[in-house]
Amino acid sequence: MGRLQAIDVCMEYFQERTGSRLSAIDCLNLTIEDGSFVSIVGPSGCGKTTFLKIVDGLLEASSGELLLDGKPIKGPGRERAVVFQDASLFPWFTVERNVAYGLECQGVPANDARQRVRRFINMVGLQSFERHFPYELSGGMQQRVNLARALAVDPELLLMDEPFAALDAQTREVMQEELLNIWSQSRKTVLFITHAINEAIYLSDRVIVMGPRPGRVIADITVDIPRPRQLSIKRTPKFIEYEDQVWSLIEHQVKSSAEFSGQVASAG
Amino acid sequence: MATAATSAPSAGELRLQRRPLKQPSWWVRNERLALGLSGFIGLLIVWEAAVRLKLVRELFASSPSAIALTFVQEFQLRSFWEGVGVSVEEFALGYVAAVISGIIVGLIAGWYRRANYVAAPWIAAWYATPHIALVPLIILWFGIGLGYKVFYVFLVSFFAIVINTMVGVQTSELRYIEVARSFRARDMTIFRTVVLPGTLPFILTGMRLAATHAWVGVVVAELIGANAGLGFMINLNGRMLHTNVVMMGVIILGIFGIILSEGLSRVERRFEAWRPRVGADA
Repeated sequence: MGRLQAIDVCMEYFQERTGSRLSAIDCLNLTIEDGSFVSIVGPSGCGKTTFLKIVDGLLEASSGELLLDGKPIKGPGRERAVVFQDASLFPWFTVERNVAYGLECQGVPANDARQRVRRFINMVGLQSFERHFPYELSGGMQQRVNLARALAVDPELLLMDEPFAALDAQTREVMQEELLNIWSQSRKTVLFITHAINEAIYLSDRVIVMGPRPGRVIADITVDIPRPRQLSIKRTPKFIEYEDQVWSLIEHQVKSSAEFSGQVASAG
Repeated sequence: MATAATSAPSAGELRLQRRPLKQPSWWVRNERLALGLSGFIGLLIVWEAAVRLKLVRELFASSPSAIALTFVQEFQLRSFWEGVGVSVEEFALGYVAAVISGIIVGLIAGWYRRANYVAAPWIAAWYATPHIALVPLIILWFGIGLGYKVFYVFLVSFFAIVINTMVGVQTSELRYIEVARSFRARDMTIFRTVVLPGTLPFILTGMRLAATHAWVGVVVAELIGANAGLGFMINLNGRMLHTNVVMMGVIILGIFGIILSEGLSRVERRFEAWRPRVGADA
């Protein structure tokens, strides 16, 4: 279970400041098969995170349809969970309480919850940190807690919103490898949003490339690299070929938007 | 040159943090108290010396030893303790009423947008009004008994709590609320697990500020119209040129004020275990 279909999903909203309508996502069509790991990459402001929020049910699409296992998505649901960007742990709760949060919201009895919390804390390798507060942990550890919090509610679809964006390069690589290990144990459907092309290729079965605003799919690339994948595959010719392919799709857009912001800066 | 360079701490040294490996010694743990106390005692010595050397007149300045003697005498009087009791009672009733109602009003006015639209102008207007100007009116309503003082204390401490609580709720971070919604938290759960913990530091700060306001309020109310209490005692003895009793009264007020704000800032720190400490240790 965990097959996601997006049919003609559009997102428009009224921008009060400028008094105009803004189209964030334009007719997005996408199917994610059960148990697969799919990444969306694209330049800043292409609507990746907006799309993820729509899938989670935090935002409502202006038009179009989203189906999870054939059922329309209306608001947040227990079969989906988000691993948020950095600094989304509740700073006033300990690691334990943060991981238990989803279960608490579902009203899972305390005893069951405690066992599940322990299991997922162990899974992300944070045993003995249960009673620490988030500020006492490194960025990498905080994102492990974030992952454990999402996994603890046992979702069918795991949504990951640039979870490693704020980490340093080495920690990031380690986290990618660990994420694959954890994922291979559960084989949940994953929708992963990222800026990093190499992260997307390394992790995913498919890489969806989105174009700049209004967001739409400009390429859908199947990554044909066998699993389990070691970090060392990032240096193989095949991997680099994929990287070049994705980069050539994005390069033009990133450059033009960089030039644009350069002009704005010099004009200002 | 070289010694000057080593004795002045550089910016790097100031920022250097050393995390203790074991329980620090009593001296280190109570450094703040010890340094504060020694400054206080130093001033007393200078004061006493100035009076003894007749640099100032004792009738106006009293002296630490005379005040100490007054303490000993007054502490044996029943009337003194009754006066203290009256002031403490006025404070406690007014302050507790302000804390309870202030938190409730602040939470409601912060959480419900429309309640805020209704309440905010009133809160702003009442907070900006000098409350002391209302004293004649309050005396008209309550006479100069307990009711007037409790109401005045309530009035001067209520708004600090309301405003802080309200701001605390309103500055609840959207990203945490979004996380909670994503996990399908109900509104009450969001309130309990996101809004309230985020607001608690604001409430405690409001309570600390309000306690100081309230204590000042007690004295102001008693100075204006009373027949008992510490403020009354000060007023009466001042007119009779009993400087040492006045000084004693002021010192007692000061000590009580310090105990209040120190106690409440301890509570504040206790509730903020989840927040990293900031600021220089030195």
